[in-house]
Amino acid sequence: MPMRALLIVIVCSVALAAQQTASPQVTSQDLLDGQKDPSRWLTYSGDYSGHRHSPLTQITPENVHQLSAQWTFQTGTLGSFQTTPLVLDGVLYVTGYNNNAWAIDARSGRTIWRYRRQLPEDLRNCCGPVNRGFAMVGDRLFMATIDAHLIALDIKTGGLLWDAELADYKVGYSATVAPLVVKDKVIVGIAGAEFGTRGFIDAYDTQTGKRAWRFYTVAGPDDAGGKTWPTGDSYLRGGGSIWVTGTYDPQQNLIFFGTGNPGPDYYSQAREGDNLYTASLVAIDADTGQRRWHYQFTPHDVHDWDSTQVPVLGDLTINGQPRKVVMFANRNGFFYTIDRVTGKVIVAKPFVETTWAKEIGTDGRPVLLPGNLPDEDGSRTCPDLGGGTNFMSPSYDPTTRLFFVTARETCAVYYSWDQKFKPGEQYESGGTIRPRDQKNFGALRAIDPTTGRLKWEFRYTSVSSSGVLTTASGLVFAGDGDGNIMAFDSRIGKNLWHYQLGFPMRSTAGTTYMLDGRQYLLVPSGSMLTAFALPQRP
Amino acid sequence: MTPTRSMMMVTLGCLVTGGLLLAQEQRSLTLPPGQNPHLGNPESIRSGMALYRFRCADCHGLDASGYRGPDLVAAVAGGATDERLFQTIRKGVPGTEMPPTEAPDNDLLLIIAYLHSVGTVTATERPTGNVENGAKLFSSQCASCHRVAGRGGRIGPDLTRVGIARSRTALVREIRTPSEFVAPNYETVTLVTKDGQRIRGAKKNEDVFSIQVMDTRERIQGFLKSNLQDVVYEKVSLMPEYGPGRLNDNDLNDLVGYLSTLRGADMAVR
Repeated sequence: MPMRALLIVIVCSVALAAQQTASPQVTSQDLLDGQKDPSRWLTYSGDYSGHRHSPLTQITPENVHQLSAQWTFQTGTLGSFQTTPLVLDGVLYVTGYNNNAWAIDARSGRTIWRYRRQLPEDLRNCCGPVNRGFAMVGDRLFMATIDAHLIALDIKTGGLLWDAELADYKVGYSATVAPLVVKDKVIVGIAGAEFGTRGFIDAYDTQTGKRAWRFYTVAGPDDAGGKTWPTGDSYLRGGGSIWVTGTYDPQQNLIFFGTGNPGPDYYSQAREGDNLYTASLVAIDADTGQRRWHYQFTPHDVHDWDSTQVPVLGDLTINGQPRKVVMFANRNGFFYTIDRVTGKVIVAKPFVETTWAKEIGTDGRPVLLPGNLPDEDGSRTCPDLGGGTNFMSPSYDPTTRLFFVTARETCAVYYSWDQKFKPGEQYESGGTIRPRDQKNFGALRAIDPTTGRLKWEFRYTSVSSSGVLTTASGLVFAGDGDGNIMAFDSRIGKNLWHYQLGFPMRSTAGTTYMLDGRQYLLVPSGSMLTAFALPQRP
Repeated sequence: MTPTRSMMMVTLGCLVTGGLLLAQEQRSLTLPPGQNPHLGNPESIRSGMALYRFRCADCHGLDASGYRGPDLVAAVAGGATDERLFQTIRKGVPGTEMPPTEAPDNDLLLIIAYLHSVGTVTATERPTGNVENGAKLFSSQCASCHRVAGRGGRIGPDLTRVGIARSRTALVREIRTPSEFVAPNYETVTLVTKDGQRIRGAKKNEDVFSIQVMDTRERIQGFLKSNLQDVVYEKVSLMPEYGPGRLNDNDLNDLVGYLSTLRGADMAVR
């Protein structure tokens, strides 16, 4: 073969091979860049900071009333979404009930592939086989499964690449959290505290699925926090679930996770002490899993107030000083701004009615009010076990420097009693009743994180579990408990648009992305995704 | 006792005990035949309550009136059969948060006995008044708003099964002082339209932007709040108070006696 012809063949072969192996690569740098490319939504909160804030400005306060549904996607299965879809190159990657998952054309809502996990029939979980979403890096997707595994899927086909067991589902472990990819590791937490299990956060190699480290959210006897548990083996049943995705500070190489409540949930005498590191914020080295610092929001919690909310990272000026902070609206009803280098509380203020603590003292501990310990006769406390807020994502707008959260105004009568632990059975030692005269309601609240003061609120007629999304054009998107998705002016809280979805957003929030020159708002609710956009120009 | 007889008795004893244990450990897919031995037994109900608290209360509420899961008091009062309760507990509800269970049949029967004891009235509470007169009073005073077995008004709750759902004390309280607690779906509202028209009725649903009502003429309709001048939420029930001046104690007793007999109706077409 002449030299020139050979060269053409080689060039063509290389080009063909490149075409065959090309994949929608997501690099660690892409994850660090977050919302820099607004056609993408690559991680649970949109970026590592947990802002759930988009730089997109096509949809504005002036034109948002023109938003209309472009397509809907129905899962065709029972059960509701609690997921945040990821967006890459015009394709949505979505997890659903019972660990079903889909790749969906973001232009049309049509399915490209579907993954179904064969789940065991003897599953145990407290709160439904839900899932909060994928993580992605390279050409891989990662999903935590309700039978307590972590799996890697091929982004192009949904085919299984590896399957790592996190813990034994038969004793009550489960996993619902959207994992977090940091560099070459995928970080995931375990749930199942209601069954008397011991929580942890794990990191796995994204390529091999081998475990790199484990951090127990319940301190063992040899740990610095071990003395906050009674002597004996109560720590092995100490709870501390992880079911909401954390955040990552690349400058400090620290990941931040909120941890679940101690177990058993309500019976104080079963676990005297502070019960570290439950109901806490933990700052962990991303490479080693070593704890750098922790802050416990609710020492010795007895009200089922998991601190599994999104820790939101920000840079604020407080009292004239620049501060690197983590903002946290907690299920216990207090909003916190914490120094994310030292773990010290800067601001702590209730954002809903709270009857259990007068305030957070200068030492960072709550100043408890009497009469709030559950017993066999019951004690009335606000908020209820659902909390002042819960798993629904908040949002932080760095332009207005406002923190937005769905607040729940609720109270409950809490009861507790002794209960014998039996592996695989629920171990909560108590329960609650809603007072008959209690009028619960929800609200979208805007909080100034430098003071904890309420800037504005928009009240709903019922309690909502919807997450919040903000955009740089000055919009807040949130849902009420009655099935409406709404848009608000982020500066003043004026309602500008609403659409009845037919089912409330439960733990889901909107995501937004740019595609073919149009900004889409994507909303999961019930078993449906709805994509909204402004009218197309002729 | 001869060795043979004692051996027989021991064998028989083992068989009986073994049989009981077997029954207690059985895991049937459907309700075991025969009467639930725990119904109405206070000790069983206490055991059922303990089981319920551990296994069910987190979702269905400590008082079984629903939290994340459905209201079981309403389900039982609404006529859910023991077979349905047993199968739902045993098999779970696929695709929902309700899991299946491998607990022994006996545990399920204890929980069912407990559920029957919560918020429902057993047939042992006999009516004391003149039921015939009570029925007449109902017809003249109540039937324009309340329905029984498909007949009567619809602005108030359907009372076809009220004898199971309410104790005598509760019935007396709800007749004498109906505003003390107004059930959801029956709260009183008055809507004021932009042209000043006032529409009074029972609120059926509401969100931030709309409200749905049944007005006092039983017309069901939804309104956009942006089209209304005002929505007035009233604390007083649509049902008038039947104090002693309106319904004397004897008539009240007869009416309650009649209501206690209302335990469901067969509506099947044959």
